Amino acid sequence: MLNLVWLVPLFPLIGFIITGLGRNHLGKASGWIASLAILASFVVSALIFIELKTLPEDIAEHTTGSHVVHLFNFINTHAMQIAFDFQIDALSSIFLLVITGIGFLIHIYSISYMSHDEGFGKFFAYLNLFVFSMLLLVLGANYLILFIGWEGVGLCSYLLIGFWYKNIAYTDAAKKAFIMNRIGDLGFLIGMFLLYSKCNALDFKSIENMMPTLMNDPSYITAVALCFFIGATGKSAQIPLFTWLPDAMAGPTPVSALIHAATMVTAGVYMIARSNFLYSVAPIAQQVILIIGLATALLAATIATQQNDIKKVLAYSTVSQLGFMFMALGVGAYTAAIFHVITHAFFKALLFLGSGSVIHAVDGEQDIRNMGGLKKYMKITYITFFIGCIAIAGIPPLSGFFSKDEIMMHIFTHGTNGKIFWILGMLAAMMTAYYMFRLLFITFHGTYRGKGHPHESPALMTMPLIVLAALSIVGGFIGIPEVFGGHHALNAFLEPILLKSQALQTSIYELSHQNEILLMGVAVFIACIGITMAWFGFKKYNAADTTKGIAKFAEDKWYIDELYDKVIVKPLFGISKWIEKIIEKAGIDGIVNGVGRLIQVGSTKIRLLQSGLVGFYLFMFVLGIILLFALQMWLVKF
Amino acid sequence: MILLEAFSTPVNYFPILIQLVLAIGFVIVMMGATHLLGPKRKTTDKLENFECGIEQEGNARQPLAVKYFLVAILFVLFDVEVIFFYPYAINFRELGWNGFIAVVMFVAFFILGFTYIIKKGALNWED
Amino acid sequence: MNAIVLSGIWGVVMMFAGLFLKSSKQIQWTALLGIIALLVVSILDYQAHSVQAQTYFGMMTIDVYTSWFSILITACCAMYLLIFHKDIAAVGKNEAEYFALIFFVMCGVYLLASYSNLLILFLGIEILSIPQYILAGSDKENIKSNEASLKYFLMGAFSTGLLLMGMTLIYGATGSFDITSEKFVGQFEQLSSMSSLSFVGILLLLISFGFKVSAAPLHLWTPDVYDGSPTAFTPFMATIVKVSVFVAFIRLFHFSFGNVSDAWQIAIASMIVLTLIIGNVTAVYQQSLKRMMAYSSIAQAGFMLFSIFAVNSTLAYKGILLYSVVYSLASIGVFAVIIKMKDYTYDGFNGLAKKQPVLAFTATVCLLSLVGIPLTGGFFAKYFVLSAVVEQGKYIWIVVFAVLMAAISAYYYFRVIRSMYFKTGEAAMHTEPTTWDKTLLILNAMIILLLGVLPSLVFG
Repeated sequence: MLNLVWLVPLFPLIGFIITGLGRNHLGKASGWIASLAILASFVVSALIFIELKTLPEDIAEHTTGSHVVHLFNFINTHAMQIAFDFQIDALSSIFLLVITGIGFLIHIYSISYMSHDEGFGKFFAYLNLFVFSMLLLVLGANYLILFIGWEGVGLCSYLLIGFWYKNIAYTDAAKKAFIMNRIGDLGFLIGMFLLYSKCNALDFKSIENMMPTLMNDPSYITAVALCFFIGATGKSAQIPLFTWLPDAMAGPTPVSALIHAATMVTAGVYMIARSNFLYSVAPIAQQVILIIGLATALLAATIATQQNDIKKVLAYSTVSQLGFMFMALGVGAYTAAIFHVITHAFFKALLFLGSGSVIHAVDGEQDIRNMGGLKKYMKITYITFFIGCIAIAGIPPLSGFFSKDEIMMHIFTHGTNGKIFWILGMLAAMMTAYYMFRLLFITFHGTYRGKGHPHESPALMTMPLIVLAALSIVGGFIGIPEVFGGHHALNAFLEPILLKSQALQTSIYELSHQNEILLMGVAVFIACIGITMAWFGFKKYNAADTTKGIAKFAEDKWYIDELYDKVIVKPLFGISKWIEKIIEKAGIDGIVNGVGRLIQVGSTKIRLLQSGLVGFYLFMFVLGIILLFALQMWLVKF
Repeated sequence: MILLEAFSTPVNYFPILIQLVLAIGFVIVMMGATHLLGPKRKTTDKLENFECGIEQEGNARQPLAVKYFLVAILFVLFDVEVIFFYPYAINFRELGWNGFIAVVMFVAFFILGFTYIIKKGALNWED
Repeated sequence: MNAIVLSGIWGVVMMFAGLFLKSSKQIQWTALLGIIALLVVSILDYQAHSVQAQTYFGMMTIDVYTSWFSILITACCAMYLLIFHKDIAAVGKNEAEYFALIFFVMCGVYLLASYSNLLILFLGIEILSIPQYILAGSDKENIKSNEASLKYFLMGAFSTGLLLMGMTLIYGATGSFDITSEKFVGQFEQLSSMSSLSFVGILLLLISFGFKVSAAPLHLWTPDVYDGSPTAFTPFMATIVKVSVFVAFIRLFHFSFGNVSDAWQIAIASMIVLTLIIGNVTAVYQQSLKRMMAYSSIAQAGFMLFSIFAVNSTLAYKGILLYSVVYSLASIGVFAVIIKMKDYTYDGFNGLAKKQPVLAFTATVCLLSLVGIPLTGGFFAKYFVLSAVVEQGKYIWIVVFAVLMAAISAYYYFRVIRSMYFKTGEAAMHTEPTTWDKTLLILNAMIILLLGVLPSLVFG
């Protein structure tokens, strides 16, 4: 089965080709074809996962739990050889399940959600292409294949954000996402070049095996790690490249759920977890990741508290949660980060799809000030959304609690400053609970303030909601901490691939059981405070309030877009204008046209030699002879 | 004198130099003397070019018909080629049959060329 | 050897054909028969000499290289005659003589390909040149043609004088005309032991050679002669004659003077630079396509000079073979289109693609080959001669310069393509091309494209 792994990305690719070519002919069938393709690869992924889990222990140990499937030689030159290989291990198999599983649910949901859209076929073609690229990303056995997928998902993201390309603001958002991602990609590329220049290989295994020698040059490793992290900040929307993600909500809601919440944005987390052998020996890079993650989590959470667009709130929430994941990576808790990726995929997909259901119900309205009281119109959406909220807020025993708690534990026990980071993290967690319930209360409680008659969404949309809600409830049980006597299944499963880096750096937190339970209690208490604040603030929301002071500051997203515009975009335009005027027009154009003119002038002048007089010709002939003789005799002493 | 010093035995050439000087000097002296001493009566008839006693007409530098040159060149061509017969005549016996064949080939080309110019009308004086 | 004899005899045959055959068609067929026979004979010669070289009285050496070149150049000439025979016959009254003169030139070409004695070199050059003086003036009614003939003759006589002077000096230094003799070889073994007579002699030979291939600064006759000559003869003079002079001199300069290359490389380098500048830059300004092609032939000679410049390189020898064939075919192809037109200016070609798509297409292929675009033979031709210099390791800057000049050349070649394809106009024809013409032109273009893929076909 493991050798059939190429089937996993193949199905979406075939789906993409069929739906892409038949986008104008297939009609509604394209949605089902696309969903079927994803379902097929989900089944294969599940089979692979099961086989991987049941592999005999000794083989698993022998190969550190990973299997490389060689497909063909991608670059095959004398100087450079890179194979097109897939790597299957615990990490990639989990991602396979998440991508194809959630992907399938969202495909099903989209069939109903997009049913009235004129670009129905195109939409599913893009979605399938996205899934294909994402699978390539997680399956690649070297950085180059990973990068191909990385670029592929970036492209699909761009296409889907600008899906309604007739709206100029949406296409601007798409361009913004693409450019931000490209900035990050540049870092990634430089990292790859750096790595290749020294290791002469790009596959994970070779580099992992080379680590002992590479460790002699810590600055080199730090440089590579930071370059890769720049790539991750682009893709996973971290400071400073996070501003594209909220704008990316211009795309259809299922896209936001799949790409901009559950899968693509976690690519950065995946990549760093995959490169754990590299980061574990680059403490400076880890410190940078930790600080950036924390700052992002806090910043995005503050902004989220003041947003009024239902999807924007969720977008900032995503940025904030990604910040948590990076904090985990920063303290070397790779398992915790992956854990949070999984649970976050469940509940954030749920929340986005729920918001999509709401938007669907109120005829495309996204401003929560024009909603309210939806609880009684759409029961299923309300209940599932509520489950999503408590999951993300971290109330046990829902999934969000376990994963977030594990991250916080790791941070608490990390180094001397761990406790400060923990307190700040808790602050972000409190804000998370606050803004999520603010959203819930404003949207579903009170009285309906909008126009028209909201209605519950069709079954095709509510079914995925229910499935995801169930997953959000039970998802946390794959990683029950030992303090509850549970068995941390995920930890055990992922252990083989982290073996090397754990040998280099211990990342299992040591905390007495009493303290652990105490900390958990504090966390739950803080979450409850957030919820209570939201309850008192927004149970009877009145849209007339205007924000001011620090709240206004947060509502306007800390003016970061404006800052980028002033500090980077405007000067860049200035420079490019200057370059256009001075260097391009006067310099390069001048030289090019000058050469042209010189030849024209030279041509008219040399033409005068052609006087037509034989006497003159002979005279020139003799002059030429003298010239040649003179040159030859002068330059070669004879 | 200077020239002579360049040779190993310049003195040997000295008499020749004296002879040269005497010869040139004699010519100059004689021509100068006749010019100065002789009587002069300049009339137009006397200054005219002498053309075998016939009165001259027009300019000598008139364009000639190209046929003159054609005939002249053809004559020179064939005339020169005939020269090859002299060495052959002298070595007739030594060259034997090989020589004979070579000359027959030569004559054959010769006749071909001749036929060609006759046929082309190169020797026709009137068009 | 048989090719030399046959070409001479066929020249005489053509003279008599003019006397005895009344119809112009018959004369043309005789000429075509002759060139086909010549092609067959040169192929037979090649097979006869493919094993062992043969020397004739210390005057000529025919080996596998010379006989192979003979085949190639005869094939080019056959292509020329097949395409142009009607136009040649239309130049004037003495059509048979024109063909006869072309056969005599071919005789000179074969001599140049196989000489091993400076006397035969001289003889070959003269047999090659004198018929050309007549061909240039064959349009007797046209004053430009007369002028071309006289100019060519006067300047050619001057260059012949230099050639003889050079040979004399070399004879004075070596005491032999035979380039394979020990005395001759010994003289040019190394620079330090070479006499100054030889030095001057080599340079004089080089200058005379530069004149024959129209290298600057000895090129001034070229535009006037090529432009003034009847259009039917210009491609012959610009291609077949020119490239055989190259092959003749590459033998001399590589195999005899190769060891003393320091004594003449600077001169040839300056010739290359001047030729490339003058040829390309002046071609830009021309309004008449025929005159542009004259300058283009100067510019192309600049590239071919590289093959002589790069001594001791097999690439150079391959390069000149390929360049000879490709350049000849491409120029013949372009002239074949020019001669069909009424107006030789660029404007005269406006809209040709609409009116005569086959002519426009074949001309485009030929022009692209002259520029040196990949997938045409011209690319590999330029590539080989330039990489021969790169391989040598010295004077890389000339290669860079040449590539820049090739970029300039694209301007005036593409101008023709632009006229044909992107401008609207009448494109008045002088003569309508027949199906036969079109077939030949397409064949010609196909060969050029084939050589762009398989250049090794001409290496034998």
